[in-house]
Amino acid sequence: MSSLPVSKDETPVDVETQHSVEQFLFREADLLDEFALEEWLRLLDDDILLEVPIRVARHPGSERPEFSDETNYLREDYEMIRERVGRLEKEYAWSENPRSRIRHVIGNVRVIESTETELTVANNQHVFRSYGDTADHDLLSAKRHTVLRRPDTNGDGFSIGHRTVYLDHTILNTKNLTLPLL
Amino acid sequence: MSNAEKENNHSGLDGIIEQTGIDIKDGRYPLAITNNPELYQLELRRIFGRAWVYLGHISEFEEPGDYARRYIGEDPFILTRDENGELHAFLDSCMHRGAQFCTAENGNTSHFRCPYHGWTYKNDGTLQGMPHMSEAYQDLDADEITLEEACLETYQGLVFGRIAEEGPSLEAYLGDFTWYLDVLFGATEAGMTVIGEPHRWESSHDWKTSADNFSGDSYHVLTTHQAGLETENLSKGPWEELNDFPAASYLACTDRHSMGYYLSKDEETFMGYPEEISEYLNPTLSAEQRELFGRSVFHFGTVFPNMSLIHGIQSGGWGGPWACIRKWNPRGPGTTETTSWWLVPKEFADDESFLSDSHRGWESLSPGGAFESDDLTIWEGISDSSGAVTHELRNTRGNMQQGMGAMTDEVDTIEDSLHGPAEVTSKGLYFDERNSRTILQSWYEMMSDSPEMEGEP
Repeated sequence: MSSLPVSKDETPVDVETQHSVEQFLFREADLLDEFALEEWLRLLDDDILLEVPIRVARHPGSERPEFSDETNYLREDYEMIRERVGRLEKEYAWSENPRSRIRHVIGNVRVIESTETELTVANNQHVFRSYGDTADHDLLSAKRHTVLRRPDTNGDGFSIGHRTVYLDHTILNTKNLTLPLL
Repeated sequence: MSNAEKENNHSGLDGIIEQTGIDIKDGRYPLAITNNPELYQLELRRIFGRAWVYLGHISEFEEPGDYARRYIGEDPFILTRDENGELHAFLDSCMHRGAQFCTAENGNTSHFRCPYHGWTYKNDGTLQGMPHMSEAYQDLDADEITLEEACLETYQGLVFGRIAEEGPSLEAYLGDFTWYLDVLFGATEAGMTVIGEPHRWESSHDWKTSADNFSGDSYHVLTTHQAGLETENLSKGPWEELNDFPAASYLACTDRHSMGYYLSKDEETFMGYPEEISEYLNPTLSAEQRELFGRSVFHFGTVFPNMSLIHGIQSGGWGGPWACIRKWNPRGPGTTETTSWWLVPKEFADDESFLSDSHRGWESLSPGGAFESDDLTIWEGISDSSGAVTHELRNTRGNMQQGMGAMTDEVDTIEDSLHGPAEVTSKGLYFDERNSRTILQSWYEMMSDSPEMEGEP
C-alpha cells in the first residue's frame, strides 16, 4: 500500500459496535503489554497477514510511495508469527530477556469500512518501551489498520484477519521491533 | 581547555591508538576504544575522511535524476545520476551560506534549489543561477561555483565515495577482496539489483562492534542466536547438507577486509537459489569462483570501515536466499544508524514466489528479525560498559586470541585456489578470530595516520 486510505466523514457503525471494537483493541493491547502472547495468538485467524511497511522521508508531490509497497520490517503469516511467539518464550531470546516494559496507549479508533463479515478499523497508538536498568525509554508512534472478522452465530468477540502497522518513523528509534511493540 | 591540555589530550588519544597496535599482535585490544567520544572525532577524520565508504548500488540510480541522501561518516551527501549519465555525490550544503537543500531520502530531480536564498544547481553540481543574478552578481564567476563533491568509484555495481581528494584507487583499496565481491555481487550475468527501500534503525552501539561482528563471527551465533536456531518447525534448506559443520565453515581475510562462509559438498547448492541460476551464471567468473558460488550456503563479511554484506540462505529455515548490504552509519559516539538493503539477482527480480521467500530471509535480520533483534541488545550493552572509567584507569584489554599460537589444533590454513587469494582457514568461523584482528588492524593503520594510505597508487 503506497498511502493511507482517505478518511471517511461518518463512522458507518452503531455505537454498540464502536464500543465492542474499542474494547477488543484495548484488551488485545493489554495482552501484548503483558507478554501474554499465547493468548494473543488465539485472536489471530489462520490466514492472517501482519505487515509493517518501511516508511520513507519524501518531498511533497513525490511520485514515489511514502510507505514502500515492496519492503517491510515484518511481513508475517500465521506460521511465522507463531514461530516468533515461541522464540520469544525461550530464555535466551535476548531481545526480550529481560522483558521490555511496554505500554500501548490506543486512541482515535474508527471503523473505516464495514461489511457483513468484516470491519476495517483504524487506530492511532503510542507505545512506550523501557528496557533494563535505565531511566531511558523509546516511544514508537504508529497508525494501525486492522481487519476484524465478526463473530459467527456461536462466537463472541472478533478475530484478527489482517493488520498493517504504519510507523511514523522513517528511521526506527529503538534497537529492535519485537511483536509486543506492534 | 588550554593549548597544553589539548596537546596532552591528543597525545593520550595517540597513546591508546598506539597501544591498540601493540595489543593486536597479542590478540588483545583496549576495551576503551569502543564508545570513546574523543576517539570518535578522530575516527570521523582519519577513517571516514580518508577511506572508501559504501554509498549505494547502481541499480538504485538507473534513470538520470535519481538521487538518494547517503552519508560518509556523519557528512550528508546526495548520490545522483546526472542528465549525461554520470554519477556524483554532492555534500548537502549550499555554496552560498551552507544551507541544506535535500531533505528527502530519495527521489528524482534535475535540479537542487536551496530553500534559503534560491541558489540552484544542476544535478551535475554546477550552478544554474540564483534570484537577481544579473543585478547582484555581475562580477561573479559562476563556473567557479560547484557543490563540494566526493570522489566516486564503482566495483561490481557497488558505489563508494571518498572525502579525501588523494588516496588509493577503489580497486587498490579493496585489494584481493574484489575476488570475493565478484562471487557475491557478480555471480549472474545481469548482476544484482536492490529491491524496495532499506531497513533503517538507530541504536546505541558503536559502529566498530557491528563491523567486527559481520566480518566473520559465527562463534557468537551459538549463544546469541540460540533462540532463533532452535526454531525447528521451519524447513532448513541447504543447511541440512552441512552435516560436518563447523568443519564446512571458512574464514577468509585479506590485508584490510574479512569474510566468512559455509560450503556444501554439493556443487549445485547455489545458496538455495532456484535451479535456473545455473543458466544465468556470469561467464566472466573463473572456474574457481563458479565452484565456490556453486557450493555456497552462506557468506557474510565486512569491507572496512562500515560496509557489511550477507549473501546466502538464512539459517534455521527463516527464508532466503537473499543478499543484503549493511551500512553502519556513525551517528555520534556509541550511536549507529544501521541501513540494510535487500538485493537479488536481476534475473529473479520479477519472480513473486522467489521474492516472497527472499524477503523473509532478509527480514530475519531486520530490527524485527529472529536473529538481529538479539544482537542489538548485546551490542548496546558493549557500548554502554566500554565507556567505563574502570577500563580507562586499569587499561582493560579485550580478547581476540582465537587461532593464535597454540590456542587450537583445529584450524588449518587452506592452500586451494577454490578459496581465492585471501588467507583462508577451515573451521575459522568458530576457532579463529583473525577476522576481528584484521578489521582492528585496519582501524589501527588508519587511526595511526599511516603513510601507507597516502602512498598507495
